[in-house]
Amino acid sequence: MSIQSVQRAVAILRCLSGSRRLGVSELSEQLELAKGTVHGLLATLRDEGFVEQDADTGKYQLGHALLQLGTSYLDVNELRQRALARADWLAQKSQCSVRVAVLRGGNALIIHHVFRPDNSLQILEVGSNLPLHATALGKALVAQAGLEPRVWPRLTKNTQTDPAKLQTELQLTREQGWALEAEEAVLTEAGVAAPIFDRKQEVIGSIGISGAVRELLIDDAPKAELVQLVLEAARHISRELGARLMG
Amino acid sequence: MHARITMGNVTMQTLKASDLRRWMMLCAAAMTERHEYLTQLDAAIGDADHGANMMRGFQSIETRLETLPATALPSEVLLTAGTALMGSVGGASGPLWGVALRRAGKVLEGLDEVTLEAFAGALRLGLEAVTELGAAELGEKTMVDALGPAVRALLEAAARGQGLSEAFMTAHQAAEEGARNTAPMVARKGRASYLGDRAIGHQDPGAVSTVFIFAALERAWMAA
Repeated sequence: MSIQSVQRAVAILRCLSGSRRLGVSELSEQLELAKGTVHGLLATLRDEGFVEQDADTGKYQLGHALLQLGTSYLDVNELRQRALARADWLAQKSQCSVRVAVLRGGNALIIHHVFRPDNSLQILEVGSNLPLHATALGKALVAQAGLEPRVWPRLTKNTQTDPAKLQTELQLTREQGWALEAEEAVLTEAGVAAPIFDRKQEVIGSIGISGAVRELLIDDAPKAELVQLVLEAARHISRELGARLMG
Repeated sequence: MHARITMGNVTMQTLKASDLRRWMMLCAAAMTERHEYLTQLDAAIGDADHGANMMRGFQSIETRLETLPATALPSEVLLTAGTALMGSVGGASGPLWGVALRRAGKVLEGLDEVTLEAFAGALRLGLEAVTELGAAELGEKTMVDALGPAVRALLEAAARGQGLSEAFMTAHQAAEEGARNTAPMVARKGRASYLGDRAIGHQDPGAVSTVFIFAALERAWMAA
């Protein structure tokens, strides 16, 4: 059994998806519903913050409440927009490949990738899913929320698969504000990443550098100047997104 | 002339240090000749640097072996080659082969000549080292998918008492078939594993360069 008014409200939201702005008449035509019905539905959706009415044109668009329902497509888009310039900056300064990730379906989903600026042929990793427990980007994403306590797959000899030890590592990540990856996902590769916060002070994504162990690490520890660059980039993007950060 | 060890009235073929040197030289030649092809494969599912990495790695072996005294034992040849590869820059395949050759070289220490049985056993330990470091199993679209079947072929040939020519030919074929089989696989290890279904349809570059190494082994013995 389906509730007709819920169905119709969902249809309105679908019509407005993709940043479209539509008036009551346009919506009633598209949905083949009476204007009065559409008006009533829009009023309820507006009260709940699911749609917003433009003060000048009177047209409707998707509201802020929808954006707060998990990380929606729009969140990802905004994060990517805000991260573009800083990601380029980080790649130039560090001479490393830079990636931005969000938490999606139990993985770190790459939403932006800037190639290592050395003109070498590299593969675009946007759309790739990285394991949370074995990558710096993943650990930075879940450092606040924690990881599901299950047995995680071993990807190299260095992969940490013990839930208790992973918790300890995430605690360290939380305390220092950045995460390290040393040959835990791919042999000979290392990474450093930091969380990106939004205006609610929640982790919305992560940004990090990756490259060969010998370029990023000295005696198993990341080069201090690289960590500083990653932190600076993450802080900058967080501020752009409205986060209030200390220090 | 092929070296032989006579036990009773059975004559067994053996590998000498010079055979292993020739093997490494032919590997370097193959990587140099085919590096563009390897890079092309790697561009589809990796960082497009596999050809250059393998070429650089095996060329560094060539340089190191030139300074190794002519009296060096088989184990010293493999240890020197392995060390050179482990120090090579870029990618995981070079260092992994480095560890494999070193592990193999260690167990052959003290031997003047190496029987097929000893050689197959040494490479099996090399395979184990690779599997351990990369946590890779068969079917995960890595070099193990070529190296595993090749080593198994050598062990079986040794158990059947086959000659080296036949053993190396079978190992080469097994590696080739193993590499071909990686094409429809989803990668479970390495950078290609990030790609999910996008890696399907492409052979793993590390498995293909492993084929070159076993092809070089076959040719090195034919030229002996």
